[in-house]
Amino acid sequence: MEKPSDLLLDIQHLHTGFRLKGKFYDAVDDVSLTLRKNEILAIVGESGSGKSTLASSIIGLYDQKNTRVRGDILFNELNLVGLNESLFNRIRGKEIGMIFQDPLAALNPLMRIGAQIEETLYYHTKLNEKERKTRVLELLDQVGIPDPVRISRQYPHELSGGMRQRVIIAIAIADKPSILLADEPTTALDVTIQAQILDLLKDIQDETSAGIILITHDLGVVSETADRVAVMYAGQIVEVAPVDELFTNPLHPYTRSLLESMPQTDVDDEELHVIEGTVPSLDKMMTDGCRFAPRIPWIDATSHEEEPILHEVSPGHEVRCTCYRDFYFKN
Amino acid sequence: MLFNKANKQNIKTEAGEPISLPPSGFKLVLKELLKDKFAIFSILVLVLILLFTFLGSAFVSKESLDTNILDGLMPAFSSGHFLGTDEGGKDILSLLIVGGRNSIVIGISVTAISIILGLVIGLISGYFGGVVDDIFMRIIDFIMVLPRFMIIIILTTIISNYNAFTLILLISLFSWTSSARYFRSFVLAQREREYVMASKASGSSNVAIMFREVLPNISSMIIIDVVLGIAGNIGIETGLSFLGYGLPASTPSLGTLIGYANDPVNIMSRPWVWLPAVVMLLIISYMINYVGTVFQRAADARQRR
Amino acid sequence: MWKTILRRVLVMIPQIIILSILIFFLAKMMPGDPFTGLIDPKMDVNTIAKLKQEYGLNDAPWVQYLNWVKNLFRGDLGMSYTQHMSVTSLIGDRAQNTFWLSLVTIILSYLFAIPMGIIAGRYKDKWPDQTIRIFNYITFAIPGFVAYVLALWLFGYLLNWFPTTGTVSVSVAPGIFNYILDRAHHIILPALVAALISTTTTVQYLRTGIIDNQVEDYVRTARSKGVPERVVFNKHILRNSLLPITAFIGNVIGALLGGAVMIETVFSYPGMGKLFMESISQRDYPVLTALILMFGILAIVGNLISDIVMTIVDPRIRVK
Repeated sequence: MEKPSDLLLDIQHLHTGFRLKGKFYDAVDDVSLTLRKNEILAIVGESGSGKSTLASSIIGLYDQKNTRVRGDILFNELNLVGLNESLFNRIRGKEIGMIFQDPLAALNPLMRIGAQIEETLYYHTKLNEKERKTRVLELLDQVGIPDPVRISRQYPHELSGGMRQRVIIAIAIADKPSILLADEPTTALDVTIQAQILDLLKDIQDETSAGIILITHDLGVVSETADRVAVMYAGQIVEVAPVDELFTNPLHPYTRSLLESMPQTDVDDEELHVIEGTVPSLDKMMTDGCRFAPRIPWIDATSHEEEPILHEVSPGHEVRCTCYRDFYFKN
Repeated sequence: MLFNKANKQNIKTEAGEPISLPPSGFKLVLKELLKDKFAIFSILVLVLILLFTFLGSAFVSKESLDTNILDGLMPAFSSGHFLGTDEGGKDILSLLIVGGRNSIVIGISVTAISIILGLVIGLISGYFGGVVDDIFMRIIDFIMVLPRFMIIIILTTIISNYNAFTLILLISLFSWTSSARYFRSFVLAQREREYVMASKASGSSNVAIMFREVLPNISSMIIIDVVLGIAGNIGIETGLSFLGYGLPASTPSLGTLIGYANDPVNIMSRPWVWLPAVVMLLIISYMINYVGTVFQRAADARQRR
Repeated sequence: MWKTILRRVLVMIPQIIILSILIFFLAKMMPGDPFTGLIDPKMDVNTIAKLKQEYGLNDAPWVQYLNWVKNLFRGDLGMSYTQHMSVTSLIGDRAQNTFWLSLVTIILSYLFAIPMGIIAGRYKDKWPDQTIRIFNYITFAIPGFVAYVLALWLFGYLLNWFPTTGTVSVSVAPGIFNYILDRAHHIILPALVAALISTTTTVQYLRTGIIDNQVEDYVRTARSKGVPERVVFNKHILRNSLLPITAFIGNVIGALLGGAVMIETVFSYPGMGKLFMESISQRDYPVLTALILMFGILAIVGNLISDIVMTIVDPRIRVK
């Protein structure tokens, strides 16, 4: 087992609720997770599963008035839940870097690339202007951008999608944060570029030994990069396992369905599995019983737990509810 | 940008907002209107003003609009002249009734002409795009930079047999451009929609697609433009009449009445001559604009979904 | 960037040529001239014919046009038919007055509109936003001349706070400071009213800009860098929202010029708009022609300025 000092982030019983018509609904419901140094933790789920909400809860970027966060997010014994803004601003960028999905939208169209990277250095380092400029060029070089001097003077729309995502990564790693949150970092990119960006993330991790939380719906990305995987459904974690374990021995019906719906490159004529139904919208989400039950109606009701909890089936492999024992695909 | 939009949608669904199909334009606009009490009040007041001016005009005697020096400059609440008289002895109340009607009629007529013109040109320009669009947009850009107010004023002095009808044409000559631009942008957006593509694929003629498919889909935009257009055009006519270059001297207008205020003596010591016209014009302008903004809000809300 | 600007300037030239032709023939179409239906009925027909010849009124229209254009380039806009002075010097003084009035109006307009837009955007749907919305609604729906008449009546005549005509009092005390103060006193009421009724568009653009930009991804990026909220607002949200406003300056100038006739007539302010009204009643062609041409060119140049400013501030346009 790793030493306790390896623990970067300890999330305990996190609830993040949004106000809808005066009532709060939990988009993240009782999530407990840990992130260690040098680890890539993937969080997988369909849109609406609460995975992006989890990320924005960690970095504290949500609409303060209409969001309610309860539970603990411990970072070096500092609880990020309820942390005041000025303290949080010393953590954001400095200790936690974030990489976004859409690299064009995530960059200010009216600011030069260099200035956008420099901004984060200005707030978190003691470097003077000249040193900051040098560091910007270093960073651009580090994320694999050719001709950093020229690029740093350009505007976002002048770059290609892959280049923009490299810039976003440069911003996220500028202050050498110990945690990187990557929210669908490759979704908006071409397949070839996707692989390059994922390689870049891994290289960065090798250099900085940061812990990375990779949020994605793409299981292909997960199998290539992640060390550990948490599968989320309707705000809850339904299965956590080391990546090999999850792909060889998936247990929860939802995980199995996701894997089944993954396109296999080596099989041509196989029909893709489609999960029936959709993730329920927040205000219609059930609060008791197994939340996945409505999407596998052919499974007998008695298979589900009344209050589904996570069961540890092997070290590091947990699964929610008991329905996995009786689950079979309909056809 | 596309991704950006998709992303926003995601946030919305993540927050659990139910996604429902927007109801049809006209119904929603009407529903929004009925929800707004002040809008209903505005419509009621506008109907009353319409009744007052149009029915009232029937009861206004010809003599009360004639010059009658002996009765000149009677203050308000004089016997037989509720709002007094002007220098020439014309009855202000009668001028207000007939002038109000004239201004409204002209506002509506100009709007009708310029919206039909704007709609046809906007549809053609937006639907066909390319060179056609370029030419029309150049012309519209050019007309829009012209000092229209001054040109209209000069034209009113040039045209022989100048009358209310020529004034309507003159104002319309300039006011169709903004409608055309407005509709063009909507048609441009509609052009790429599936229903137009489908119609094209099924071999419908361009004209048929424009009038049967595109037009109904921009109906709520037309309502907004009509409502706001009427207010704007009443403003232009009264403004011209105010300066003395709108309706001919023999035809009363709210603007002519307010124009009395151009005389220092009138503005200071005879407010009864011009102030009622100001009040009426303000009520008309505010109420119409209010109804227009309610429509706009409804249409915006529908678009935003 | 220079290419874009150059191309934009080139587009302007045919516009100005068409404008000049249009205006010239418009003026030619006007019935009568200063010698028909003259104020002095004693003047005999021969003298009138001689005068007409002298003023070149008998030449073919296009000859007159070309002469007119030739003279334009020499800065010669002809002689006023009624004022016995050159159009250039007649307009000169008036143009200055209009310029100062417009300048003060524009400054006041933005001085009101920008803070209002920022507050409305920041406190969306809260009471400050709602108050501004009502104010905006009042200033938007009122026809310009009605606002001017009411302001003149209320603050000029009833309350006597401001002078009701002219640019400067006859009885102004000596000294440059007193003179400036007196002129300011004359300018402030018309400029204030014109400024207040012209804020609507700016406020709305700024408000929606701020509201829309607040949820943009790049703002989230800025926050994720640990940039303090105040800086996020000023540097990212506000700056990007001001962009469309700078592009709108041309329209503001255009609207202001369009309103000059009205405002100067009501406030008896001797600018170009007032001159236009005086000239139209006297059928003074050369002055009218020169005035419309000036107003037209100013509007075209206003649009040009908008585009150039936009090219400078928005890097996305700059490259194309």
